[in-house]
Order: sequence, then structure tokens, then C-alpha cells
Amino acid sequence: MYILKNSFISITRNKGRNISIGIIILVIAACSTVTLSIRNTANNLVKEYEASHDIIGTISFNRGQLAEKFKGGEDAKKSNIEAFNNIEQLTLENIKNYGESNYLKNYYYIYTTSLNSDTLTKATDSYEYEVENKETSTTSTTKTTGGQNNEKSKGGPNGAGGERHTITNNNTTTIITRSKEKFQSDRNLTGDFELDGYSSYDAMTDFISGNYQITDGEMITDFSSFECAISSELATLNEIEVGNKITLKNPTTKKTYDFVVKGIYKDNSNADDSANMYSQSANKIVTGSTVIKTLVEDDSTLVTNITPSFIMQSEDVIEAFTQELKDKGLNEYYTLNTNLDELKNATQSIENVKTFATMFLIITLIIASIVLFVINVINIRERKYEIGVFRTIGVSKFKLTIQYILELLIVSIIMLCIGCLCGVFLSKPIGNMLLQNEIEASKTADEEVLNNFGRGEKLDLPMEMNIRGVAKVEPINSIDAVVDVQVVLQLLVIGILLTIVSSLASMISIQRFSPLTILKERS
Amino acid sequence: MGILKLENVGYRYKDAPKDKYVFKNINYEFEQGKMYAIKGKSGSGKTTLLSLITGLEKCTEGDVLYNGKSLKKMNLDKYRNTEIGIVFQSYNLLPRFTAIENIILSMDVSQVKIKNKKQRALELMKSVGLSEEQSKRKILKLSGGEQQRIAIARSLSYNPKIIIADEPTGNLDKETESEILKIFKHLAKDENKCIIIVTHSQSVCDAVDYIYELKK
Repeated sequence: MYILKNSFISITRNKGRNISIGIIILVIAACSTVTLSIRNTANNLVKEYEASHDIIGTISFNRGQLAEKFKGGEDAKKSNIEAFNNIEQLTLENIKNYGESNYLKNYYYIYTTSLNSDTLTKATDSYEYEVENKETSTTSTTKTTGGQNNEKSKGGPNGAGGERHTITNNNTTTIITRSKEKFQSDRNLTGDFELDGYSSYDAMTDFISGNYQITDGEMITDFSSFECAISSELATLNEIEVGNKITLKNPTTKKTYDFVVKGIYKDNSNADDSANMYSQSANKIVTGSTVIKTLVEDDSTLVTNITPSFIMQSEDVIEAFTQELKDKGLNEYYTLNTNLDELKNATQSIENVKTFATMFLIITLIIASIVLFVINVINIRERKYEIGVFRTIGVSKFKLTIQYILELLIVSIIMLCIGCLCGVFLSKPIGNMLLQNEIEASKTADEEVLNNFGRGEKLDLPMEMNIRGVAKVEPINSIDAVVDVQVVLQLLVIGILLTIVSSLASMISIQRFSPLTILKERS
Repeated sequence: MGILKLENVGYRYKDAPKDKYVFKNINYEFEQGKMYAIKGKSGSGKTTLLSLITGLEKCTEGDVLYNGKSLKKMNLDKYRNTEIGIVFQSYNLLPRFTAIENIILSMDVSQVKIKNKKQRALELMKSVGLSEEQSKRKILKLSGGEQQRIAIARSLSYNPKIIIADEPTGNLDKETESEILKIFKHLAKDENKCIIIVTHSQSVCDAVDYIYELKK
């Protein structure tokens, strides 16, 4: 107990010395608080980000590898196409087989096909309309009386489509030609209605991310019944409401399928690369993957496409899962691509800030330890006499060491508290300033890359680079550096370690000093 | 049997030649209730001998026995803060502490159970002729004589059996010297302490019961 009392007496009676030590510790504490809070917050942000953004893998066709085997010349065209046709397409069974893996958290897929409809009008910026053309001629030799002769034939002049009616009435022959003319913009769309069959709600990444949003009704609930959600554009164009039925037709077998409209969704992406009248999702009909499976069972020739998404357990399993896919027989022309690079890029700026904060902390602590050590060496030399007196009256070396460490520790803790308070106010602005600098530096680098491609004005690189069909990844662009219990505890540990390191001088001196020598020197 | 016994004690500095001793074959015995003076010329090893007795240095030869037990086998910190009180020629008080704090500190270090340490410290100060007002002063604001009295009061604070004083009156005037000697005499006769004074002062030698002289 007297050790603590002596420490307090010594602190209060050596104000000058302790204030200098205190100021140094205050600066260290403030710097450490700022760097620790930035580091921890950045760490948590990255962890949260990684936790909320799964590593998603998808299987893509490796066109490059096929191209390597292409042959040139007119004669090779057929063999090239045959080679392409010979590559097996991914089947639903393949995807399910690949998805049954210990390396995955989950998997889902979008099973896509397209159907036509006799009753629905496709949302497109072209339309067909009927044109009637009448040609009347009069002949004097016609003998037909009373009534009329009506001939109907298909095929228009010049081989064009349409109907031709010839009406002969008395001496007048009227040829009515009805043909369909198409009015369309120069930027034509192809295809009819795309049916996207989702295997689960997880697969509906556009709805999860908010690109699409149900504005009327609700999302389909049964993935195996003929329910669907259609775009607001298609609904408006065809005056369809929730609860209505729409009929779609297999383009080959002409078999029709009735779908109940459960919901109408809006495409929130205001702009896309094309400048069409309707959005790319206008003719997209959302349904369950089992529905598509039923369609395929009815007609195995129906053209389908499967886009699988494999949710990885972690970054570490990507290689093993790739190998597993090969072992399970994934064709060499398919490759597994992930969004790992996008995830890393999104957190890169904050990782840089974290690294900077860590480096700054280490340098601060090294310099601080050296400064405090030197101050303590000087301090101990000044207090040699005191050590001698304490030793002669029977204070053990151990207790004396503890007393000197306590003195520094008390000063350290008081200053750490004040420094911590300063750090609380400084952390957030400094953290955001560092991050903004990083983002600016990163943007400048992106701008340089885009300038190289003559696209200097398009700076929103991460949004544009939604490559390989994986989910878009938004970068982190703000940091709310918070001084929490973890930071305070880390600061306390740093304070104790600094105190011990800088007290080494006292510890060594107390062990080395002979009290008699000290007192003789004094005398 | 004496409380303190020096058996064939010899001391040689570490860097000195093997046969060059400060002193050799010292055989002294000290008893409670008696005053002793150790005298000798400058360089005769008086202070060195005192260091051996207080455990601040270790004998090169022989042994120092406290109550029949070798100091080599004792916890010397405990020995210094409980069994002996040391009064140095240069007082060796803590300058940043007040007079009373220096005395209380010794009581704290000794861990001897004392009910009211402040009260005892004030009584001790009074017994060496210092007032309560002086007790609150910092050491450096006291005169040499006053500091010497504080040093004596400090050495008595935890009631040790032996008081060892190195030139306790060396820096004092005749009047103060006489007062200090009176205090030592009282401690030996009335409180049964063993008083060992290292000195070359004749008046001190006149006041003690036994004189040991160190000769080169």
C-alpha cells in the first residue's frame, strides 16, 4: 500500500518531470486512439462487408479456349460450328450435382427459356400493321352477271407476305392487297418473352439488390406452379392486372400455358447501355425453375439456359471447389468465375487506410517507446540518490521497481484517458479524410485507365464493370471510426506495455545500483 | 551474549590486490543497553565496517552475526527495515518528502504494526526536539541539525534493537552535538538499545561505554 502512496507523493512532488512525460503519453494516446479506432472500424467494416457479400461463383463458357481450336478458311466453317455444337450444355442435373458440395454454403440458379404468345403484345419499339391496297380495273368484255366472284390468295406481289383478294363485279375488277408492314426503330430488339425460372428467392439477386421491385401484388410463392411476375411495362402495354392470366405458347409445339400474374415489378435501373424505348427487362417474366423444368419435359427441344450461382464457404475453398467441379466432369470449355476480385476491390481503399493506420501506430509506438525510455534513463539518473535512500531503509528492489513502474503507469493511465477523449473527437474526421484521399487516389487511377480507352468521362468504373454475370459489388466509401470498448482495452494494453518498456531503464538501474555507492557518490 | 558479533571480519575491495585489505580479523561484540564508538583515522575503514554491519556490503572474510545468525543467511532488506536503524552522516533523507513523511515512510517499510503512525512520528520528533510545525516542512527547508534529528527519529520509528550512526554529529555545532548524544544515551540506558557510533570526535568517545579503534 505504501508503494502506491509513495508513487502518488512522487508524482505530485515532481510536477515538471511528470507533465513532460504526460504530454508525450497524451500525444501517443491520442494518436493511438485515432489509429486504433480507424484500424478496428476498418477491420469490422471489411469483415461485415465480407459477411454481407458472399463469394459467388458462376460457371461461364470459356470462348477463348474454343477459339484457340478454330480453323481458318471457308471449308473450316462447318467443322468449327460442329465443334461448338459438340460441347455439352450444362444441364439442371449438372448444376444440382455441382451444388452438392461441402465447399458451398448454398447454390441457386436461374433456368431460362423463351416462349411466344398469341395474346400478349411484346414490349418492343417496333410494331406491325395491316395495309390495304385497292386496284380497280374495268373491262368491257366481262360476261359475269348478277353477283360477284371472289378469289382469295395468299402471297403478295414480289413474293411478300399478305393476302390478295380479287373481287370481280360486273365489268369492274378490284384487287385488294392486304399486307403487314413493320414500323420499327433502327435499334431493333429480338426475341419474344424471356421466362426466368428462379430456383429460390436467393437467386433473385435483382430483387434483393433493388434493381427490380414488386410494385403491385407480390412475388411468386410457389416455384412449381404456373405463377409469374411481369414487368410494369408489359402489364401496362397489355392492360394486365394482378390475378389475370396470361397465355404463352411454345414456339415449336404450339402448346399453350396459362400463367397467373401474382405480381408486377418495376425496373429501377433508370439507364442501361442501350437506348431502347423499353427496358431490357420489359419482356422478362419471372417464374419458378420447376415451371421451366415442366416446359422442358413437355418439349425437350426447347432452348434453355442455366445460370448457376455457387455461394462459397470462404475464399480459401475456391481452388478446391474448382478441382471438385473438374472431378465431377465439368467440361474443359467451362470455367468457374467468382466475384472475389470485385469484393477485394470494393474494400481496397479501406484496407489501405487500415494498413496506413497500422503502420502509423507501429511507428508511433516505436518512437514513443524510445523517447519514454530515454526520458526514464535521464529520470533514473536524477533519482539515483532517492533509490539509494530507499534501499538503505530496507525497501526491496522488487518493491522499488513496482513503485517506479506505478508512478509511470498512473501518469500513463491519466493521460491515456485524456488522449482517448481527444481521439474520440479526432477519429471520425481523420478516418474519413484518409479514406477520401484513398478513394480520390483510386479514382484518379481508374480515370487514367479509362482515358487510355478514350472514355475519360465515364468514371463510374465499379458500376460498369459488372463482369462475368456475378452480383454487382458496391465499394465502401465512408468510415465511422468509433472508439469502443475494444479500442479502450487495446489502448490500455498499449499503455501498460509502453510503461513496462520505458520502465526497463528503472528496472535495470535498480537491480544494478549499489545503495552504498550511490550514497558515497552523493556524499 | 551480544546482539551483534563480528567474527574475523575482513574486507578487501573487489579490484584490490589479494593481500590488500581495508581491515582484517576484526572481532567485535555489541550488546543491548550499551553505547559503542568505532573510531579511527580517515581511510581506516570505519564507514566500510558500518556498511558490513548494516548489510549494505558483504564481508570478504569472516562473518557478521545478528542474534547468532549470519547476515549472509538473512533477508537484508528485512534486517535493515526492522532490526537496525541507520543514521548517516549526510542524513540520507528523501528531499521531496516532508520531515514527518520521511519518518512515516520508514514505519510503512518496516511493516511493524503501529496503531497511529502520524502520532508516533510526532512523538519521536518531539523526543528529538522538533516541533509539529517543523514536521510539515520539506527536508531541504530544515537545517543540518534538524535533518540529523529527523534521521535519528526515522531510525527509531520502527523500534529497532540497534542504532548505527555514521558521524552523527560531524556536521553539527557543539550544542546540537551534545543534545544528540543525550538522545543516544537515553536510548541506550532507558530503552535498552545498542548504539554504535562511527566517529572520530573525542566528545562522542567520551560519552560512550566502549570504544573500538580501527588501525591501518
